[in-house]
Amino acid sequence: MFDLNFLNFSLLAFLGFFIGILGSVLGVGGGVFIVPLLVLALGVPIHQAIAVSLVAIVATSSAVASVNVERGLANMRLGVALEVPTALGSIIGALAASRLSSNLIYLLFSIMLAAVSISMFLKGRRSLRRAASVHFQAAAGGAGGALDSSFFDPSTGSYTSYRVKNMAPASFVSFFAGGLSGLLGIGGGVIQVPVMNLLCGVPFKAAAATSNFLIGVSAAASVFIYLRKGYLIPDLAAVIVIGVLFGSFAGIHILYKARSEKIQIAFSAFMFVVAVKMFMTAF
Amino acid sequence: MVKDFSEKKFGKLIQRTLLAGVFLSLFFFFLGFVFRLTGSAAAEGLLRTGVLLLAITPSARVTMLVYGYCRTKEYHLALAAFTVLSLLLVSALI
Repeated sequence: MFDLNFLNFSLLAFLGFFIGILGSVLGVGGGVFIVPLLVLALGVPIHQAIAVSLVAIVATSSAVASVNVERGLANMRLGVALEVPTALGSIIGALAASRLSSNLIYLLFSIMLAAVSISMFLKGRRSLRRAASVHFQAAAGGAGGALDSSFFDPSTGSYTSYRVKNMAPASFVSFFAGGLSGLLGIGGGVIQVPVMNLLCGVPFKAAAATSNFLIGVSAAASVFIYLRKGYLIPDLAAVIVIGVLFGSFAGIHILYKARSEKIQIAFSAFMFVVAVKMFMTAF
Repeated sequence: MVKDFSEKKFGKLIQRTLLAGVFLSLFFFFLGFVFRLTGSAAAEGLLRTGVLLLAITPSARVTMLVYGYCRTKEYHLALAAFTVLSLLLVSALI
C-alpha cells in the first residue's frame, strides 16, 4: 500500500505538476493521467485512485477557471447550461462505480482511454481551419443566442466571436460525460471539449476553457459520494493536488498562447500505450 | 468587442470565489503536512478539512452564479445554476 515519505512526496508533487500543465493545455482535468499513474505505478486500489483524481480535478478546474473566467475565455452561460446534465450524470456514475468490481472499472477505463487517445490524435491532425471560429454576424433585426460569446485570442491578436448551437444533443452527451466522470475519475473534458467544439461550434480554446470551468462541478458531485464511502486517502489527495495546482497555473499561460493541436498529437500515442496497460491489468 | 462593466465584475466575483477556495484548501494542506512531520494526530483532520474545502469550492462558485444571474436578471440561467446547486447538495447527502 502507499507510504508517503519525502521521496514519494517529491515524486508525486512533480508528477502532479506535469499533469496539471497537461490538463490545462489539453482542456482535460488530468484524471486520464492521474488514475493510471496511481493504479499502475503506485498500486493504489482503483476506487481510491478515482477519489484522489476527482479531488485533483476540482482543484485544476477551480484554478484554471479562475483565470479563464477573468480573461473572458470561459463561456460561463454555456458552462452553467451544460452543468445541469453533467452533474446529474456524475452522481449516477459515482453511485454505479461504488457497486462495480475493480477489474470492470479497469476495463472501462482502458476502453475510454483508448478512445480518447485516438480522438485526440485525429483531432490534432485535423486542419486548424476546421477548428477556427465562425464570426458572429447578427441578422438584421435579430439578436444572437443567450449563450453566444466572444474572446480575445492573443495567438491571432484579434477577437473571436461564435454562436452556440445544438444545445439539446450537447446536453445529452454532457450527461454521458458526467457519468464517465463519476464512474472513472476523469473530468469529462475529453468529451466536453469535442462536444462544444464540434457540436456547439465553440472555438477550441474557448471550449477547453469552458470545459475546465464546468468539470469542477461534476467532479465535486462525485467527490462527496466517494468521501462518504470512505474511499479518499487525504495525504495522497493533498500532495497530488499541490502538484497539479502549480502545474495548472503554469499551463494556463501555455494554453493562452500556444497552439494546442500539436500537443494533442504528441500525447495521444502515450495515452494509447497507457490504455493498453490498463486493459492488461483488468485480466 | 469590449466586455461591459457588469460582465467584468461578474467574472471577478467568480474568480475570487474560486481562488479563495483553492488557496484556503492549500493552506490546510500545507498545515496538515507540517503537523504530519511533527507526528501530530491533528494532521489527518487538517488534510481532510483541506479536501472538504476544495470539494465545496465549486458549490460556492455556483452560489455566486445564482446571485450574479439574479442581479443581471437572467433568471433562466439563475434557475439552471440553482438546479446545479441542488444536485451538489443531493450528492453530499446520499
